[in-house]
Amino acid sequence: MTAHNDSAHGAAERETVDLSDPKLTRLEVFKEGLRRDDIEIIHYEPRFAKPGTKAEKRMERIVGGLFLLSGLSATLFVAAYIFWPWEYEGPSTWRDPQTWYTPILGVTLGLALLLFAVGVLTWAKKLLPIEELVQDRHDGGSSAEDRRIAEATVDGLVEDMGLKRRPFLVKAALLGAAPLGLAAVAPLGALLKDPGDMLTVTGWNAEKYNGGEPIRLMHKDGALIRPDMVSVGGQITAFPAIDHGASNEFPTAPILLIHLRDDDATILHGNLYPMYQEVDALWGNFVAYSKICTHVGCPTSLYEQQSQRLLCPCHQSQFNVVDNAAPVFGPATRHLPILPLSVDDEGYFIATSDFLVPPGPAFWNRPSLPEEDEK
Amino acid sequence: MKRRKGTSDSLLTKAGGELDDRFKLAGPARVLLNKVFPDHWSFLLGEIALFSFILLLLSGTFLALFFEPSMAHVTYEGAYVPLQGVEMTKAYESALDISFEVRGGLIMRQMHHWATLLFMASILIHMLRIFFTGAFRAPRETNWMIGILLFWVGFFEGFFGYSLPDDGLSGTGLRIMEGMTQSVPFIGPWASAALFGGQFPGTSVISMIYIIHVFIFPLILLGLIVVHVGLVFAQKHTQWPGPGRTEHNVVGFRMFPNYIMKQVGFMLFIWGVIAAMAGLFQINPIWLFGPYEVAVVSSASQPDFYVMYLDGLIRLFPAWEFRVPPYFTLPAVFWPAIAGMGLSVLLPLLYPALERRFTKDRGHHNLLQRPRDNPARTGLGVMVVVFWVIGTVSGGNDVFAEKFHISLNAMTWAGRIGIVVLPIIAYYVTYRICLGLQQHDREVLAHGLETGILMRDPNGRFYEVHQPLAEPDEHGHTELEYNGWVVPKKMNRVGALEPADKGFFKSIEEPSDNGGASRDEIESGKH
Amino acid sequence: MAASAKRRRGWRKRLGALARFTGALVIVGGLYSVFSPGLYAQETDPNAIDSEVVKGQELYDTSCISCHGDNGEGVEGRGPSLIGVGSAAVEFQVNTGRMPMAAQGAQAPEAAYPVFTEEEAEWLGAYIDYLGGGAVIPSDLDTLVDDADVGAGGELYRVNCSSCHGFSGGGGALSSGAHAPSLDGVTNLELYQAMLTGPQNMPVFADNQLTPEQKADLIAYVQFIVNDDRDPGGVFNLGRFGPSTEGVAIFLVGMTALLLTTLWIAGKS
Repeated sequence: MTAHNDSAHGAAERETVDLSDPKLTRLEVFKEGLRRDDIEIIHYEPRFAKPGTKAEKRMERIVGGLFLLSGLSATLFVAAYIFWPWEYEGPSTWRDPQTWYTPILGVTLGLALLLFAVGVLTWAKKLLPIEELVQDRHDGGSSAEDRRIAEATVDGLVEDMGLKRRPFLVKAALLGAAPLGLAAVAPLGALLKDPGDMLTVTGWNAEKYNGGEPIRLMHKDGALIRPDMVSVGGQITAFPAIDHGASNEFPTAPILLIHLRDDDATILHGNLYPMYQEVDALWGNFVAYSKICTHVGCPTSLYEQQSQRLLCPCHQSQFNVVDNAAPVFGPATRHLPILPLSVDDEGYFIATSDFLVPPGPAFWNRPSLPEEDEK
Repeated sequence: MKRRKGTSDSLLTKAGGELDDRFKLAGPARVLLNKVFPDHWSFLLGEIALFSFILLLLSGTFLALFFEPSMAHVTYEGAYVPLQGVEMTKAYESALDISFEVRGGLIMRQMHHWATLLFMASILIHMLRIFFTGAFRAPRETNWMIGILLFWVGFFEGFFGYSLPDDGLSGTGLRIMEGMTQSVPFIGPWASAALFGGQFPGTSVISMIYIIHVFIFPLILLGLIVVHVGLVFAQKHTQWPGPGRTEHNVVGFRMFPNYIMKQVGFMLFIWGVIAAMAGLFQINPIWLFGPYEVAVVSSASQPDFYVMYLDGLIRLFPAWEFRVPPYFTLPAVFWPAIAGMGLSVLLPLLYPALERRFTKDRGHHNLLQRPRDNPARTGLGVMVVVFWVIGTVSGGNDVFAEKFHISLNAMTWAGRIGIVVLPIIAYYVTYRICLGLQQHDREVLAHGLETGILMRDPNGRFYEVHQPLAEPDEHGHTELEYNGWVVPKKMNRVGALEPADKGFFKSIEEPSDNGGASRDEIESGKH
Repeated sequence: MAASAKRRRGWRKRLGALARFTGALVIVGGLYSVFSPGLYAQETDPNAIDSEVVKGQELYDTSCISCHGDNGEGVEGRGPSLIGVGSAAVEFQVNTGRMPMAAQGAQAPEAAYPVFTEEEAEWLGAYIDYLGGGAVIPSDLDTLVDDADVGAGGELYRVNCSSCHGFSGGGGALSSGAHAPSLDGVTNLELYQAMLTGPQNMPVFADNQLTPEQKADLIAYVQFIVNDDRDPGGVFNLGRFGPSTEGVAIFLVGMTALLLTTLWIAGKS
């Protein structure tokens, strides 16, 4: 109510016009309409003082030309859409017509739209009369009268329903509606699933996935991995050799198997956390780190074999390969868990157990070991 | 009814009569046709979002005809050679088919994606305009809040949209979302399991975000947009202050024909720009990314630009994890991702109420403020912009680091320090600039325009001739009120001199008409 | 790529490759013992070989010795030992201009103009091979690549390479100023040498890890996406950097065009 309109404009105060007067011109009738909407004309003049001048004709031709050109471009678009070769045909250069399909469609359609747009806008800017009008705003709520009437009506409504006299009904309705609301959202419960051990047990759990037999390491294509298959200073991505072990069904299982140089391996052996020393987690110069970043779970696979760092490309956490893959930079807070490695009788790599701490991003009740706070 | 003379006795009149008989339209139609709109370039920014949205609905419908939101496994046998024989989900296969097997499918995909970027970019620019001019003040706080909601619904609509193809890049995005969801204390693992139907990535998330992306969120967006535009219409547009413009009127032109023609023209122009960009600039080449596999990632993995600011915050946030072993862990990512996003929603939503509270200004405002006239607000706005820009650049800091040969670690540290220090500096500098601009305006109002003409008085003192804006008093001062209008700063702005150059694309030479006074007369101050 | 249909997956392929590899090792080993040390070059004239080694040593002693030490033994804190790295590594480093390095840095940058000619690089390679041989490059590499399976190469690329070089081969940042270079314009030979020897921070992918056939698959894939295939989605690919350049483009091109348009639409005419 602060900014109540006081209708200071002449428009509202001007005399009314008798619309039944047959002598009224179109303009006068139109102005009466403006008056009824509290609009006043400040300035109104045709764009071209004299109709039919050379300049006006010229502008008409320009606008018309734009529309016609737009139509031409649209026709080209349709023709290109139908007739231009479009199917992908393998390796190509800019000489192959099909590689131009998308650009041609974009340019012809874009031009058609842009030309039509410029035509319409030019029409509005160059041919429409110049006008400036002022309209009253009537801001700031309804009049006191209207408010009073509305108030009385609502009061009557409340009275008719007896909302004040029948408090029991009101309370009972609220009590009944609350469970109804619950009933409306309850079916969403179908989405709920017990996370169970999905965040703590990985595909390397022999009891769960391999009948207690140690799980071997394999390539993505299923080939088992032997020590001689990883070059010194090399790394490979390995998966548990179980059904679908390399698929997205085991999102926390992928590991990075690194064959360290002698010097680096010695450093790592020296730095190894006690929990990994206890289970003899390395095998020779080989170490297997979880590939899943402990920050938010991207594959941490940028292995720098000289600086001995692992970098996560998503948020740039960096892990020290020769120090339990402890984080050295970026937002990650925990080391990449080591998968305890060994080699079985047939010479293939096996995991002697699941990860000792859950790999991947943290969650509130993640079981953690005191070793993780070291260093 | 007798037809009056002088009106066009045409088919149109007849059709109008028939319609009015049934729907009683004459009154409301007149109100609509005559409604006055103010005219300013900055009032057209929201339209870019509106018209991109319409194009998004159209192109999205085309894509939905061919897209299959299924995570069932198939072996690709389509046209794109390097992926032949590769195992993938049906969703990715159908997205590839849209790109390679559907005639015109690729340009539709690209139009849809470019239109999304334009939608989000124009919302941001529009939001800045509303903020810096104080257009969100009473009585328009509701519409500001609806606008903020539109941004955030659009944010998730966009995120879900680029997650649908289930390619290597979008899967990485979902993986990060999983990590973020998990980080919420107490409900994280359950929320994540609900989202992915068990363990990430599961087999259901694509169909879930599909129904959200093509039905639920577009419906919410459509509803919010209708209310947003409806409120602008009902509450009448704000206007810039100026001669004849008050809090109680609107100065401009009529909705028909002027306004509506400009709108239609602008809509087609926006669509034209999107179509041309879709044809010329390749966007999101999913065929290079391969199917999503949990062990696969690419360097330079970024979200789309409107999400990048959050990703940047996650990159910059230090490795602070709160732990009570073995019972409780609060992951570092919780702060930037969950708390950061929550604040990014809440603070803008509440800003109008906060400003009301601190300034105790409870009046209605239909006239806009120039940014300089509210230095504190402008400073805050620039502060947020600087914060956002640093966050966004940090979201792509690996690309920066690689292309400009900067150390990645240095980029991260620069971002960490910059995001704390620079916004504060930006606030102070902006505040001072605002005051400086105000001061200059006041000077011009008091002493007149600088003409650039140096004179020498009999004592040998040099001084600049000023052109007063009104009849000066005996001290050479003018008593003009400072009221937030644009103050002319150049001679040609007051009509004392013709503009040196006129016209938008080319010069329009017009003979000068300044009451017969010659340039010399004006410059010598005789005029 | 007519060979793309030729796909043997899983065990059989791996075992087949292994068998071939073992066979190849036996043959190579046998040949080596017969012709050694005449394996360095096509010619069998020992003087010719020696002269290459000698020329290589001359170059080495003027340009490399300060960092890599006498007889390629390496200098602590300046350059690693070159004994055993082989000619493939040397030719890669020298032909791409990475070596000789102008100054110590996070990593040797590529240079547009290598210091040595390809012939000189071969001499240097011969000398380093003489100090202790390294991995060998198959002489029929281009044939191998022509017959390679692009699809299989793609899968290998995404598991082994994209994390550093990016999905589209544009390269990427590593820690502390190091970076994985763009694969734009690289030759088959350079790709093979790089995989075989693991230059700078790149992990080694020796033949026991990726067979020559698999390397050929990989090379075929890289050549396809980086060099052979024109981007179907437009005239400009925005450097294929993904969302970061797309975000820049929408503001610089789309928003700028439309902001200028708003000025025109609302401008007084």
